[in-house]
Amino acid sequence: MTATREAIALPLVFLTVALFGGLRITEGVALLPPPLFALVLAVLLLGLLVRCGALAPERLVHTSRSMLANLNGLVVMLAAFLASAQAFNVATPESGAPRVLFNLVFLILLANTIAASSDRVRVLRSLLVIFGSAFIVKFIVLSALSHPAEGVVTRALQVLFEGVTLGSITQDVFHPATGYIAFGTLTLYLFGLVLLPAADTGRLRPAATYTTMLDPTRDAKKLEG
Amino acid sequence: MRDGTVRGIGLALAVGYATFIAWLYVQQPQSAAEVTGGFSASVGSYRIDPQAFDDGVQFFGRDQFAAARTAFERADPARQDARTQFYIAYSYYRQGWGRFYQDDELFARGLEAVNRAMARAPGGRIRVDDPGLQMRSGEELKAELEAGLRRDPSDFNPARILSRRK
Repeated sequence: MTATREAIALPLVFLTVALFGGLRITEGVALLPPPLFALVLAVLLLGLLVRCGALAPERLVHTSRSMLANLNGLVVMLAAFLASAQAFNVATPESGAPRVLFNLVFLILLANTIAASSDRVRVLRSLLVIFGSAFIVKFIVLSALSHPAEGVVTRALQVLFEGVTLGSITQDVFHPATGYIAFGTLTLYLFGLVLLPAADTGRLRPAATYTTMLDPTRDAKKLEG
Repeated sequence: MRDGTVRGIGLALAVGYATFIAWLYVQQPQSAAEVTGGFSASVGSYRIDPQAFDDGVQFFGRDQFAAARTAFERADPARQDARTQFYIAYSYYRQGWGRFYQDDELFARGLEAVNRAMARAPGGRIRVDDPGLQMRSGEELKAELEAGLRRDPSDFNPARILSRRK
């Protein structure tokens, strides 16, 4: 990993995610710090990234590196932690039953992925699906259910829906810009995860090693040789 | 460029950016003017527009509260000046005050403004020596606004119609 990527690109990417992850635009602008549960999920996520080899802490902080390089590495890890917490913050609904449900699902998905001992690529794909699905549900589905309806029939159905769910599903309505910013923030976060220094291939999980063993192109080259 | 230089620049950039983000989360600015104004205030170089402020005080004295607030907002676009915010809060109080009931929405906005004024004032203490005001400190104004927003049996006291606007 180059010094530019470690010292400039990664901190700026993750700090930008930390900044915009809490941005909510309604009538005014609010910057929401991550809730406590998002911090817990961020710790789990970093643990998962280390376990699958997507993040190699020893390539960021190590006794063989200079003090300045170690400081850069520490900044990257702290920024990645804050960005992870804010990524969960932006992907989680703001209130009611959906908020509780999302937090529970995030916890179960992360625990399951850790237990499955997946490799780097699979974990990154899994995170793309997790955050992508959460974004769609929060900013498209729940937003549509919460947005004030225009027609009389639609409004009546919406009132009925609110009554049936005791108002626990509908959310605060945000300015449309919030959704676009959230999309950009989550994309930037996933891009940042791809840029993180990965562990050596030798450290990868058995599943990856098995895949490597069955690599047909390598076998074909061997045969040719 | 040398490796060490890149790392040094990167560290400085990251620390500066992180400090800026932390400052934004604490200050919660609502506009770009508030961001720049907040920075100016933090280094002590923020100044309000005195002409707009005087206009605001004149409108306020003539009970033209909406016009007064427009002038005050122009004078202090970054909402960093305690005295201007105090006047804005006072304008909400006077506009929302009624002999039979108080306008809760205006009082709530007044409370927000007086809280902002007290947060900006040195030591949280604000005092405005204007003979046209019956309440000259942030504490008095805040207590009056909070009392107006509170629901209690005194709201049904018929003697309240004899009370006077401050």
